[in-house]
Amino acid sequence: MTEAVLVTGAGGVGKTTVSAAIGVSLARAGLRTLVLTVDPARRLASALGLGDELGSEPFPHPDEPNLWAAMLDSTQSWRSVAIRHADPDVAARLVNNEFFLAASQHFPASQSYAAADQAATFVEAGAWDVVVVDTPPSAGGIDFFTAPADMADLVGGRLLRWLTGGPLPGRRFFYRTAAKPVLRIADSVLGSNLLERVAEFLLDLRTTYDGVADRGRQIEALLSRAKTLVVTTADPAPITEAARFYRDLPEVGSVPAAVIFNRSLPQEWIGFEPPDDTDTKLVENLARWASESLRQSDARAEFGAVHKAVVATIPWVAEPPTDLDGLAGLLAETEELTARSLKLEPKRKMGA
Amino acid sequence: MLDKRLLVVSGKGGVGKSAVSAGLAQLATRQGKRVLVIDMGESAGLAAHLGVRDLVFDPIEVRPDLHAMRLIRSDSLIEYLTLQLSLKGLNRFSRVARAFDALATAAPAVREIISIGKVLWEVRERKWDLVIADAPPTGQIGSYLRAPRSISELVPTGRIERQAAWMGETLRDPDSTEMVIVSLAEELPTTETRQTLAWLETNELVPEPMVITNRVVPELATAAKGRGPVRDAAIHHRSVYVEQQKWLSELPPHVELPYLFGLLTPTEVAARLSDALEESL
Repeated sequence: MTEAVLVTGAGGVGKTTVSAAIGVSLARAGLRTLVLTVDPARRLASALGLGDELGSEPFPHPDEPNLWAAMLDSTQSWRSVAIRHADPDVAARLVNNEFFLAASQHFPASQSYAAADQAATFVEAGAWDVVVVDTPPSAGGIDFFTAPADMADLVGGRLLRWLTGGPLPGRRFFYRTAAKPVLRIADSVLGSNLLERVAEFLLDLRTTYDGVADRGRQIEALLSRAKTLVVTTADPAPITEAARFYRDLPEVGSVPAAVIFNRSLPQEWIGFEPPDDTDTKLVENLARWASESLRQSDARAEFGAVHKAVVATIPWVAEPPTDLDGLAGLLAETEELTARSLKLEPKRKMGA
Repeated sequence: MLDKRLLVVSGKGGVGKSAVSAGLAQLATRQGKRVLVIDMGESAGLAAHLGVRDLVFDPIEVRPDLHAMRLIRSDSLIEYLTLQLSLKGLNRFSRVARAFDALATAAPAVREIISIGKVLWEVRERKWDLVIADAPPTGQIGSYLRAPRSISELVPTGRIERQAAWMGETLRDPDSTEMVIVSLAEELPTTETRQTLAWLETNELVPEPMVITNRVVPELATAAKGRGPVRDAAIHHRSVYVEQQKWLSELPPHVELPYLFGLLTPTEVAARLSDALEESL
């Protein structure tokens, strides 16, 4: 069975690099590993063996036999939902609709849904031992995990019900309700039969419901048995986000396997007494970075205690790694993220 | 800059937008202004930097002359409908409000105009000397700034369309509005800041923006001598400094705020940034 490792956390904490590093280290432990990455910096993409043509098809790494990489593309999310789950003529009408783009931008869950859907497809393919997923920047919290249900809820008519204030209308019913007070108010503010145009769009969107709901349940099942890692730095904003994962993930049947504090400064700086003849500027400099290191160390200890979390640290590095050894080196001292600690074993060959 | 009537503070997520907004608000208050600072997002950041537990839709006075509120779209919508249509007894769960919320999800710019419209309404009412919007991140700010124009394109007639006109004018007026982009001296924030600046220049929705770069380390005016932690910390500092200078050189003229070392509470951070802003503005 293919295992999934979901790498989550706030934006800007180095999630993409950490995902790549975990992928490389699992590949080197003998697991056939696919890394699904979101928007990697150019140098990171080339470290993963992805050239200028970043594609959504898994690409075998030229120098690392167990490693594959592919991009997660969430920009086409609603388009693919329409094409997969609606009749061809409805799909064509949907993708050309003036509200289509706005709705997909206003509903970030749709991007998470598309990413989760693609990730699930690769897990189901069964061609890898493990699929490491760099989850897209979330609108906040666990929306990657709730996206399938949110998406089904949306296309299933929640908006339509709100719009008409009653049971789900048929197309003809809707035209008759256009004289309803609610809609008259809306039209007097917005003008130009905007409501009717939106409702037409939502009625078309609703035809995708069965497909989206069925697929959503499959995706949810995969997500709930994945291993989730939460990446953060010791800064307040990403820590708050990491805490939300620990608080909310159990609601969707998942518990984070570890929290990863990226860019951690050396602890031996804390309390170090420089020799008396040291340049004052250097003493001051050590003192201020030691105070940073202490702040980080306190933050890690507090997080571990409050959330009963397995805490892994990845050291600060001057330059983000640009090759396989550099990526693997990031995790050289991080016991908590080895294949064994994550309980991932190479797939045994079947048969003789 | 504090002589304007509205500051729209944006930036990539995690750069310290809320801390800078709180710092600017404190500075303006110290200069004798009556200030409203508006949290347009859903993070707890601004409240913490102002030293309060939470913000709500109705402004609270967090210290003399410094008021703060959180923009809650459903409340803002109800307020709008109540004012515009003289409708009474609306609450956020009413059918009208929910119908609008549905619309706002599907129709472009409706959601954004309700948010930015409330901010601009506070500017127009002249209850405050200065309104500071702790605005959505740069990835989304374009659709907010463009909302008045998008509305005009979407609906050629109607009440919202008529209001979109003055909203757009207020945003464009250099005497009333200043756009502030907070950045960091790192690759991704710098890239995003440059993209945003280019987009803003093309679209002419706001006057020329000001860039504030947060968390800049000073130069270490000595060589990395010695050994052990003394040397390692010096090398570390040097590498951060060199990296930061590289990204700073890619930005147009900007204001730099210092890196704050060690454990500080959110309110201490805001106070220190406010002092640093006073020196550099």
